[in-house]
Amino acid sequence: SSPSISTRSTSVHFDLKTYWTILIAEINQKLDEAIPIQYPERIYEAMRYSVLGEGAKRAPPIMCVAACELFGGNRLVAFPTACALEMVHAASLIHDDLPCMDDDPSRRGKPSNHTIYGVDMAILAGDALFPLGFQHIVSHTPMDLVPESRILRVIAEIARAVGSTGMAAGQFLDLEGGPNSVEFVQEKKFGEMGELSAVCGGLLAGAEDDEVERLRRYGRAVGVLYQVVDDILEEKSKGKNENGERKKRDKSYVGLYGIEKAMEVAEELRTKAKKELDGFDKYSEAAIPLYSFVDYAVDRGFSV
Amino acid sequence: REEQEEERPNFDFKAYMVQRANSVNKALDDAVLLRHPQKIHEAMRYSLLAGGKRVRPVLCIAACELVGGQESMAMPAACAVEMIHTMSLIHDDLPCMDNDDLRRGKPTNHKVFGEDVAVLAGDALLAFAFEHIAVSTVGVSASRIIRAVGELAKSIGSEGLVAGQVVDINSEGLSDVGVEQLEFIHVHKTAALLEGAVVLGAILGGGSDIEVEKLRKFARYIGLLFQVVDDILDVTKSSQELGKTAGKDLVADKVTYPKLMGIEKSREFAQKLNRDAQDQLSGFDPDKAAPLIALANYIANRQN
Repeated sequence: SSPSISTRSTSVHFDLKTYWTILIAEINQKLDEAIPIQYPERIYEAMRYSVLGEGAKRAPPIMCVAACELFGGNRLVAFPTACALEMVHAASLIHDDLPCMDDDPSRRGKPSNHTIYGVDMAILAGDALFPLGFQHIVSHTPMDLVPESRILRVIAEIARAVGSTGMAAGQFLDLEGGPNSVEFVQEKKFGEMGELSAVCGGLLAGAEDDEVERLRRYGRAVGVLYQVVDDILEEKSKGKNENGERKKRDKSYVGLYGIEKAMEVAEELRTKAKKELDGFDKYSEAAIPLYSFVDYAVDRGFSV
Repeated sequence: REEQEEERPNFDFKAYMVQRANSVNKALDDAVLLRHPQKIHEAMRYSLLAGGKRVRPVLCIAACELVGGQESMAMPAACAVEMIHTMSLIHDDLPCMDNDDLRRGKPTNHKVFGEDVAVLAGDALLAFAFEHIAVSTVGVSASRIIRAVGELAKSIGSEGLVAGQVVDINSEGLSDVGVEQLEFIHVHKTAALLEGAVVLGAILGGGSDIEVEKLRKFARYIGLLFQVVDDILDVTKSSQELGKTAGKDLVADKVTYPKLMGIEKSREFAQKLNRDAQDQLSGFDPDKAAPLIALANYIANRQN
């Protein structure tokens, strides 16, 4: 069921699945502890529902950890930010699904937040998860292991990425329709999270400015790549499973240009992402997890 | 007319407020620019620059100066607090929440821009508040800025502002809401952000832990005071005088202080809160404390 794009795996001796599985377990546990249920319970239940949903791949936090380790950073420094990424990401997805926005009754095969908790609670759950991300970074990052100035840059980066020129802009342009380029909407809606994840990891580890820019381009390409491949896979499975319950995203490459062109775009993105990583050759070993994400995005060789 | 607490004879509160509100308005105007995509930034500016008394930002700056800081150290935080306040009003006014058409004498954000844009504009203001503090605060150590970010996040999330809104929504139409629950609503819904404003100012201005905690208590009292007065005004004033829909607490069958304890007892309670608040300021330089004393009196005696 995976798209037939050639595989040029660089990760011969690297077991991404194990790396990923171990990190997922750690991230899940930390997220679970970060949102304990207290009074008023319903809001915490709503927040937990979207952050702790089973089967989440945790790609943003894992990319953040991997980018931090690329520059020799301690993963303990990256964990709180990694968790924060999941919180702000969940917040924006909850709001994107609202009836007044994409009006999606389900997400990842489960009822969306407002379907279960009501529109008012869903709005508030999102409003609470954004600041919880920042709070979590401030209260959990081991300040003895990382200069405070780096944490400030991470906070600014997250705020920028979810804000009015980042993910909120993507969602707005997607809703508005009109003559916006598919590249722009896809980059804002899906590339921004990948970019943010890679950049935060690099910032925490003290990457140089040009290295951060490289991570920025890498993360953005990988974020869009995941979505393009998702759209391709979905389009392909439609033939067998003709329910048509999901609204067609006319702002996707597949929706606009068809599968062939979308596969070309995917191949270009894969090449672009890897080219950025090639610039890190002095860290060759440590870059392997980041390379393997690129191939995984296309091949989906295993499920986690 | 309620009693006037002692004020410094030479302190011109009206001039102080006008001057401070003007600097805050200018800083807000400069902070949120009309960028691409235009409409979402227009929506942000529409509500943010709609007037308002700027009580929170002025409190933030006054607290900063009280502990020996400069206005410039607290200005980004003061703007951030106003952005968060505005964001919570935009979301609160939505049809799925309080369904209000009028705010500060103007049509509410979703009436002008639509519900989808109103949700996004709120989210974007929330995010930008954090970006603004992290990026634009100058003359303050990274460690204090990070502390301020943590405080702000805590005051607006599920342990603060959002908790108040959740319990408020859950209490609507219930006949057995007691004073304790009402106090929970207001301490979280209103006092938390006022507390955030004051505490942020004190931290950024270089206040000691003892000073910060005294000012935190001061803010909690005036936060509750603010809401008790709001409840009283809601039953005693017209919509025109208030610039928002009057009597809406009664229509929505919301529990209020006048309903629970009567108007007279509510007024007495307000006076007690004002005295308790001002007691917290007794150890500070009286000249520097004058603005906060006057602000407390203003909150107690305001007519809209």
